[in-house]
Amino acid sequence: MSPVNLSTQLAGITLRNPILTCSGTYGFGEEYVAYCPLEALGGITLKGITPLPRLGNPVPRLAETPAGLLNAVGLENPGLEEFLKSYLPKVRKLPTAAIANISGFSLEDYVLLARALQKDSGLAALEVNISCPNVKHGGMHFGTDPQSAQEVIAAVKAETDLPVIAKLSPNVTDIVGMAHAVQLGGADALSLINTLLGMHIDINHQRPVLANTFGGLSGPAIRPVAVRMVWQVFQAVDLPIIGMGGITTWQDAVEFMLAGATAVSIGTGNFVNPLAPLEILQGIQDYCEKRGLASVHDLVGLAHRA
Amino acid sequence: MLTEGQVVVHESLGDEEQRLRRLVLKGPIARTAHAGQFVAIQVQDSSIASFDPLLRRPISIAGISSERDEITLLYRIQGRGTEILARAKCGERLSVMGPLGKGFSLPEKGELWLVAGGIGIFPLYPLAQSALAQGLTVRLFWGGENKSFLESAGLSSWKDLGIPLQLSTLDGSLGQTGLVTEQAQELLEKSTASGGQIRAAACGPKKMMQAVTELFKNYKVSVEVSLEERMGCAVGACLGCVCTLIDEAGVLIHRKVCQDGPVFRGEEVVWDESC
Ligand SMILES: Cc1cc2nc3c(=O)[nH]c(=O)nc-3n(C[C@H](O)[C@H](O)[C@H](O)COP(=O)(O)OP(=O)(O)OC[C@H]3O[C@@H](n4cnc5c(N)ncnc54)[C@H](O)[C@@H]3O)c2cc1C
Ligand SMILES: Cc1cc2nc3c(=O)[nH]c(=O)nc-3n(C[C@H](O)[C@H](O)[C@H](O)COP(=O)(O)O)c2cc1C
Ligand code: FES
Repeated sequence: MSPVNLSTQLAGITLRNPILTCSGTYGFGEEYVAYCPLEALGGITLKGITPLPRLGNPVPRLAETPAGLLNAVGLENPGLEEFLKSYLPKVRKLPTAAIANISGFSLEDYVLLARALQKDSGLAALEVNISCPNVKHGGMHFGTDPQSAQEVIAAVKAETDLPVIAKLSPNVTDIVGMAHAVQLGGADALSLINTLLGMHIDINHQRPVLANTFGGLSGPAIRPVAVRMVWQVFQAVDLPIIGMGGITTWQDAVEFMLAGATAVSIGTGNFVNPLAPLEILQGIQDYCEKRGLASVHDLVGLAHRA
Repeated sequence: MLTEGQVVVHESLGDEEQRLRRLVLKGPIARTAHAGQFVAIQVQDSSIASFDPLLRRPISIAGISSERDEITLLYRIQGRGTEILARAKCGERLSVMGPLGKGFSLPEKGELWLVAGGIGIFPLYPLAQSALAQGLTVRLFWGGENKSFLESAGLSSWKDLGIPLQLSTLDGSLGQTGLVTEQAQELLEKSTASGGQIRAAACGPKKMMQAVTELFKNYKVSVEVSLEERMGCAVGACLGCVCTLIDEAGVLIHRKVCQDGPVFRGEEVVWDESC
């Protein structure tokens, strides 16, 4: 039997395969090199950057919950200037596609970042995080109000020649409405989902565990929510979807693709098993082979058949 | 390195009341490990996929035998994760990442003073062994809750090293009553006055390491401290575990405990919790 075609088209770019890693869980690409060969991945998404450097939130920034992880890193990052100077040259040398992730506190922030990141930077695409819940007065209102979401995506789109991926927050009542809005704004693809806002209280100390009180929940605990959102958005919007939220095994990844994800991204799962991206890729390949599918793309949205 | 460690010894350490365990794992980690480094260990058998608890647990490397390809981990059952780990049986395979982080450094010559609080003693044993092998003079100050704790947590193997031990307990059941710093001060006074070349390494509760750093600074003795923070990735990718340092220019910076540490120079650590 001929091997399964893994090549994945997304927002005008061609990825080696549909496996990506999530922003904020994979640093700027170098940290996992000793554990997972990057050349085997479809691509990686870099830690979110803002125009100015940020120290982020105080510790504790992490709290474990049943099959989940709360984080309140608070967008710690070196800022645009330092990213361009010290990180981008190394990122360009990575043996896989690199997607930058941008965050802001105002429309101007997003515009500034988009202007600085063009095709000639060597990046494959720009993921726009309109949904980070860990920063007070942060991107959240862009992530929950369809009108602002549309405006921010349109503004980014007008500034950069890179494909633009809108990363949506699950902390909304109508995810389809948000997806429609960013499609109107001109997004080339969607990332679904960012973390769900949560908290954990230490009953011995009778205080919140996280210094920031609230944090974003990730990991297997959020997977059913993410799959549901991918399913709904796939039905309503004609844009490729990068599915993420709790993917740790190949079965999880297949589930997302059946729901409508063109590619999948692994975040917290890397912490559990740094080889997860490789094992997931192998698992998807075997699954396709067994089912007689010629291409991974044939899986996308398959569960929607009447 | 991601490896499977095979459990060769897993036993209770001393008085059961202390909830301490000794876990010896066979695998290649021993070949490159240094004192002060740690591993991130999955707490259940790696052949069973389970995501609760989700994260690996960071545990210091407390013994290194490169000839036998074995590392020793000593830990206290603290909560759910270590409770599950404690059930691992001989022959089981546990997924281990390591050796991780940057460990302690050794001075070329002179004296190395070790200062431990409670189970902070564990990573200091392989450090004492390397220091002695290199011909340094080693001395230990160790404070714990009581006699039962010190004896359970390995006092006899420290005695076997034949180095001076200055012990203290909170209740006075062994050694002096009180804090380790009180003990160290007297000797610091004497030794530095006679021109001794001293370096120190400390591991224990944050408040203790801060007190040690400040005390030793008065005598111009630099201290390396081993910090703890909650970890996600354990390799520097998630920024979950930062600590605050003050750089030479006086600017506050963040460093990752998992990758840039866990060992830092005490003088550069900003101990204030709110940073
Ligand atoms: C670099 C490093 C080295 C360590 N070495 C040792 C050692 O040699 N022996 C030993 O007994 N313990 C050591 N610890 C502490 C050990 O990691 C925790 O006791 C353990 O993670 C507790 O897990 P639990 O599920 O049993 O407890 P729980 O309290 O239920 O843990 C819940 C969560 O909090 C985290 N957590 C709890 N306490 C700590 C802590 N003190 N530091 C960091 N994270 C914590 C856990 O990882 C987990 O995510 C070390 C910690 C670090 C950071
Ligand atoms: C520690 C941590 C940091 C994160 N930082 C970012 C970030 O900077 N930008 C962003 O868009 N998403 C960030 N995320 C969200 C992830 O990219 C992802 O959307 C989410 O964690 C769900 O996937 P998972 O369950 O596989 O981790 C972060 C997640 C974690 C756990
Ligand atoms: S635990 Fe992820 S950066 Fe240290």
